[in-house]
Order: sequence, then structure tokens, then C-alpha cells
Amino acid sequence: MSQQDSSEHRAMLSNSVTDFARGADVARVRKLRETKTECDRAVWRQMAELGWLGVLVPEQYGGMGMQLGDMAIVAQGLARALVPEPLTATSVLAARVLTASDNNSLKTKLLEGLVSSDILPATAWQEQAGTLDVTKITTQATPFEGGFRISGAKRFVIGATHADGYIVSANSPAGLQLLWVPRDAAGAAMTFDALADGRQSGTLTLSEVTVAKENVIHSGAAAAESLARAIDHAAAIASAELCGIMSRSLEMTLDYMKTRVQFGKPIGSFQVLQHRTVDLYIQQELSTAVLADCLGVLDEEPDAKTRSAAASRVKARCTDAALLITRQAIQLHGAIGFTEDCDVGLYVKRAMTLAAWLGNGTAHRRRYARTEIIEGATA
Amino acid sequence: MSTLGAVSAAKTDWNAMDDDAFRMDLRAYFEKEFPDHLRFLPRRLRWAESVDWWKKLSKKGWLAPNWPVEHGGMGLTPAKLIIYWEESERAGLGRMPDQGLTMVGPMLIRFGNDAQRANYLPKILAGDIVWCQGYSEPNAGSDLASLRTEAVLDGDEYVINGSKIWTSMAHDATNIYVLVRTDKNVKQQRGISFLLVDMKTPGITLRTIRNIAGHEEFCQVFFDNVRTHKDNLVGKLNEGWTIAKGLLTFERLSIGSPRRPLQAFEQLDALARAQHLFDDPGFVDRYTQLKMDLNDLSSLYGRFVEKVRQGIPLGPDISMLKIFATDTYQKLSELLLEAGDEYGAFADEITLGGDQIDLMSPFYISRPGTIYGGSNEIQRNILSKYVLQLPS
Ligand SMILES: Cc1cc2nc3c(=O)[nH]c(=O)nc-3n(C[C@H](O)[C@H](O)[C@H](O)COP(=O)(O)OP(=O)(O)OC[C@H]3O[C@@H](n4cnc5c(N)ncnc54)[C@H](O)[C@@H]3O)c2cc1C
Repeated sequence: MSQQDSSEHRAMLSNSVTDFARGADVARVRKLRETKTECDRAVWRQMAELGWLGVLVPEQYGGMGMQLGDMAIVAQGLARALVPEPLTATSVLAARVLTASDNNSLKTKLLEGLVSSDILPATAWQEQAGTLDVTKITTQATPFEGGFRISGAKRFVIGATHADGYIVSANSPAGLQLLWVPRDAAGAAMTFDALADGRQSGTLTLSEVTVAKENVIHSGAAAAESLARAIDHAAAIASAELCGIMSRSLEMTLDYMKTRVQFGKPIGSFQVLQHRTVDLYIQQELSTAVLADCLGVLDEEPDAKTRSAAASRVKARCTDAALLITRQAIQLHGAIGFTEDCDVGLYVKRAMTLAAWLGNGTAHRRRYARTEIIEGATA
Repeated sequence: MSTLGAVSAAKTDWNAMDDDAFRMDLRAYFEKEFPDHLRFLPRRLRWAESVDWWKKLSKKGWLAPNWPVEHGGMGLTPAKLIIYWEESERAGLGRMPDQGLTMVGPMLIRFGNDAQRANYLPKILAGDIVWCQGYSEPNAGSDLASLRTEAVLDGDEYVINGSKIWTSMAHDATNIYVLVRTDKNVKQQRGISFLLVDMKTPGITLRTIRNIAGHEEFCQVFFDNVRTHKDNLVGKLNEGWTIAKGLLTFERLSIGSPRRPLQAFEQLDALARAQHLFDDPGFVDRYTQLKMDLNDLSSLYGRFVEKVRQGIPLGPDISMLKIFATDTYQKLSELLLEAGDEYGAFADEITLGGDQIDLMSPFYISRPGTIYGGSNEIQRNILSKYVLQLPS
């Protein structure tokens, strides 16, 4: 695609996202806590029709074959409107893992299903809190003639309430396996814990679940590498979502500061609040600058070390900035910002959920320190 | 009934007791007598849940640790008071609708008349009445002096019209203390009076408001020709602002107590043990920083409590305590979420290493501390103007 084509494409994407977000229903988000309907399949289908589920998926599987920079536009725009559907978990994390698969028939079926919204896959890779290392797992895949039997427990599965199946990682004598486990597979059970924003974190228990050879997505070092890359890419797109959250939150705060009057003046005229919001604005601009830079780096498919460093930079900054801005939004709204009815709280909660997913600020700084600073110094 | 409490409190000089013995007494009692299902709740207790405990503590003479002995309190020294709070936190005693204890009691002791003290103090101790605070209005938050709810004297009664908002636990209260405008023709602060009103008075209606965590924490209270007898005026007519300012000082002292952050520390300790966080030097740094901040907060708090005990009026410098306490509490709640990693987004309690840990509630509970009782921005304005005396 030429430069001009691609910028036209991005403008189009951006417009369609803005239109969609304008019609998005915050009342639905508000009800999440009671109804747990974090994914409305009708909305999901609509998103598929707009092409968004397949932004990153190669054209031969029905996708758009575009770049992370394009995906970020969609994610950021939808996050501004608090759309709860699991776009990043599905269309980045799962889509990247599936695209790297060498099992062509399974890959075709799942990717086409993902793009059309007929199949919603969720990725169940993590077992421990606080690590992004895909090898830190104990789920076992024991081989037999027809495939594997897997046992173990996966935590923090996002986008799982409506999932039709799971991409599960497990250790086998031949290295890491990525396996497709349909939702109703015998021995697989999913339970949920509510997250701050009303969405759900899944725990998948697997006991002696049989996975046929045909359902092996990817194996060995290449599988581990594709999973790690998918996680980094998803962390970067989650950062784009955080940028959407912070920008809308700051906008709402600035609007409020222009209209709320105390001591006979708009509170936005108090210098301390002006300086405070200027600092928040700087954090927002830092975030978008880092985001653009890191997406560029990731789209060039650098080596694993460079890739992880870029993902960590952007996730650390965007997480911290979004948490700061949304928390300050409460403060600057005063008591009304502390009520359920005020949208400010919805942004705080979404920021917390996105912050904790795929490594929070501390986790990413820890990883960055390990690979970029400590190993660099001893190299 | 409350005299019972006063009598038994007078019998023991808690302050003369050895610190450890005092602590162990409290600990044993709180562990044995407080209802288990109410421990470590992520929200304030409702009155119906509190009343039995309230009465029990009152009988024992342990309900009002900060009130003087002659009014039925324990009259504790700062050091003993801090032990009292620490043990309450340790036992997970929830925050009851305690405005009567923390605000109205001390206020009447200082500004009320004998009749008001005789009428209200025993009822507060006995748990017969529950108070809420009617200061803020939709358009008078930080700028409280601009309040517009008005009271007009008609015969022996004041007739009140207007509305108050963010009134914590108004839906549980039997009585409300309100700031009302009684003179519109003078400087704002000069035309405000302080009234006590029975919530059952005709003309009062409530709208409950849910907080960010989904709990019904506060209300908007509407006054439509609400009548209260003129004996319910506290202090002099049009001098309510002075009383309110005095009371806000008490409130700042109470918000400034290290007790609430202490509970969050319990959660952080449990998390750190379960997740082996003390192996991580980065965590240890942040943890220790806050631990030492909290210790230092206790020192600062002790300084102000000591003044109160000696009868020295608290000045505008109390604002620094409120700022440091609430900021520290928020930082602590933020570390709790951050150190929880993925669990840091879990809405409900988690079970880790055999412990039940609530990472999220301290976050919500610590948020409004920087907003109410005079926001921290307002506190900084006060400090820069009245303490540092910078030009305005
Ligand atoms: C949980 C909770 C419980 C409460 N309980 C009670 C209660 O029981 N009774 C009661 O009467 N009230 C209660 N309040 C209300 C509380 O006292 C007010 O929220 C507070 O006074 C701030 O007013 P506001 O919310 O209208 O914010 P605003 O005054 O509108 O302030 C909005 C923002 O502007 C800032 N600001 C305002 N003026 C200035 C200035 N001059 N300089 C710099 N910054 C400024 C504030 O700091 C804040 O950040 C409660 C509030 C909360 C959150």
C-alpha cells in the first residue's frame, strides 16, 4: 500500500470508528456489573461488518491485512466510547497467534470465523500474576497417538464470557504447544471473576482434556515466539485503548472546569487547577507520542528484544498516564465525580482493568529494566 | 442509659494503664465481642448493623474514646487514642454512622449550651439518635459560605427551605445538623446559622445517591417548610460559620487519623506475603516509603491530638494533617492495586495464600478523603494564606 493509500485508509477507519462511537450506548456499560454482558453478539457482528475484527488478519482469510497503527485507531476510538467488546483480546492477541499457525486448515477455519464474528476465540496463556513470560506455565500436554491430553489451570482470560473456544498454551515433551480447545470440550470449565469495569476475568480449568492432532495450532520454539509477539502487540493496542480512555476523561474534566462555578468563578480559572490539568495534558501527549513511535517500531517487526522494549515503553507510560488522569478526573469533579451516575467513574474503572491486563506499569518497567538495563550493562 | 458508660469510664483511668495492657484489653474485647460478619467490610456500616455494637461499647464505656471523661468519654491521651484506633483496625471494626461521636458531641461540648448537652449527649452515647451533616449544597461545595438553604424565624420556630447534598448516611440518620442562611444582607459568612433538626420533621424528603463503588452512601436532602424549635439553634444567631469552622477542624483531625490507612496496610501485608513481594527490592522500597510515611503521620497526628487534650485550639495548620493523611492513604491504595498485578483489577475480594484480600475497596474508600472535609486544594489555599501568609 502506498503512503497516500494508507493515510486515506486510516482516515476512513477513523471516521467509521467516530460514527460508531457516537452511537455507542454508555447505559449498556453501566449495566455490565449486573448483567455481565460484556459482549453483545449483535454489536460484535456489526463490528465484523465494519471490518474491524480483521484489521490485522491477512486478506486471504477475509481480513484487511493492515498494520498495528491502523488497529490502534479503531481501539482508541472505541475505548473513548467505553465499548466493552473484547476487540484487543480477540483481534490482536488471538488473531496474531492464529496468523502465525502452521496448521493451515485449522488456521483458515478459525481466522475466517474470527473475522466474520462466527467464532470468538479467547487466549488462555497466563497462569501466574505479574509475569509476561509465556514459558512460566505448568499446564501439561501429554501426547498420545491422536494428539494431546491437557491438564492445568489458566487465569486472567479476557474476552472469555462469549468465547466459542480457547487458545491454550501447555508444556509437552516437544516444547510449548498452542492448542485449540472448543468451549464445550469435556474436562474444560470456565469460571469468572468480575473486574473493576464490570467485565470478567476467566479462570479455565482443564482436566484431562483431549485435543486431537488437527487442533494443534502451533508447536515448539516458534509457538512460544508467536505467543510472546502476540502479547507484545496486544499490550501496545491496549495502550491505544488507554489513550482513548485518558483523552475522553481529560476532555470531560476540562469541560466541567469551564462550567462549574465556585467562589463566583469557573473552577477552571484557579491557577492550581490550570497547572494540574496542564500536567495531565503533558502526560496525555507523552502517551500518544510514545504510542505512535512504538507502533511504528512494532510494525517493522524487529527482533524480540527490541519488540518487547517498545511494548513495555508504551504500556508503562499509557497505563500510568491513564490511571493518573482518570483519578484526577474524580478529584477535579469533586463529589459528583465520586458517584455512580457520573461517567467519570466508568473511565477510572476501564483504566484500571486495562492497566492490570498484560502487565501494569510496574511489571513493564521491571521487564524493561531486565532486558534493556541490567542485561545491557552486563553484556 | 449512657450514664452507665460514663460511670464505668470514670472508674478506670485508661491513661494510667500500661500501654500493652490497655492494648491487650481492647484486642481481647474486639476479637471476642464484635460480630464476625461485619469485620473488614468494604464500605461503611449501616446503622441497623451497628446499633448492637454501639450499645455494647457504650455500656462498657468504650464508645467515645476522644470525649472527655465528664461527658461519658474515655478521655484518652493521643498515645492511647492511637492504640485504640490501631486495635479497631486490626479487628476490622467497620465505620459506623459515627457523626454523633466524631462531630456533634465534640461540637456541643464546645459550642452548645447546657440544655443541648444534657439533651443530646446521653442520647448519642445510648445510640438513640444518629446524626448526619447538612453543609454542602449543589452549588455550595468548596465555596460553602455561598450556601442558600434558608431559615426564617416564625414565632418560636425556624422554617427551613432549600436542599443539601452529599449528606453521608442521611438515610440512616434520625437527626441532621444544618448550616442555613439567616441573613442575606450581610457578608456571606456573617449570615449563617447552625441548626439541629429531627429528620422526621414534615417537609424533609431524601433522594439516595450511589457512590462510585455502587453503595448507597449519601443523599440529597430536601427541605420544604421544615420547622424546628428555636432552642435548636447552636451558638448565636448568624454565628454558625464560626462553629462550622471549628467543627471542620475536628473533622480534619478525624480524617487525619492514621486509622484508615492502617487497614489498607493489613491488606498490603497479606498480599505481599502471599505473592512473595518482599523478595522484590522495588516493592520493598515503595512499601517502606509508605510505611515510614504512615509512622510519620502518626507523629504529626499525635502533635495535634496533644494540643486538643491540653485545650489548645487547633489553628489552620491542621490542614496539613488532613492533606498528608489523605494523600498517603491514596498512595497506599494505589500501591495495593499496582502490587496486585492482574488481581489489581478484580472488583471483589480475592483468596491468595489462604488469605482473603480486598485490593479494590481501599481504592474507592480513599478517593473522597481528598474531596470532603474541605478538598485538599482548599486546604492548600488555607495553608498558603493563613499559615505561610503569602499575598493573595
Ligand atoms: C463521600 C463523600 C461524602 C460527603 N459527605 C458529606 C456530608 O456528610 N455532608 C456534607 O455537607 N457534605 C458532604 N460531602 C461533600 C463535600 O464536603 C464536598 O464534596 C466538598 O466540599 C467539595 O465540594 P464539591 O464536591 O461541590 O466540589 P467543588 O467545590 O465543585 O470542587 C471541584 C474541584 O474544584 C476544586 N476547587 C474548588 N475551589 C477551588 C479553589 N478556590 N482553588 C482551587 N481548587 C478549587 C476542588 O478542590 C475540586 O477539586 C461529601 C463528599 C463526598 C465525596
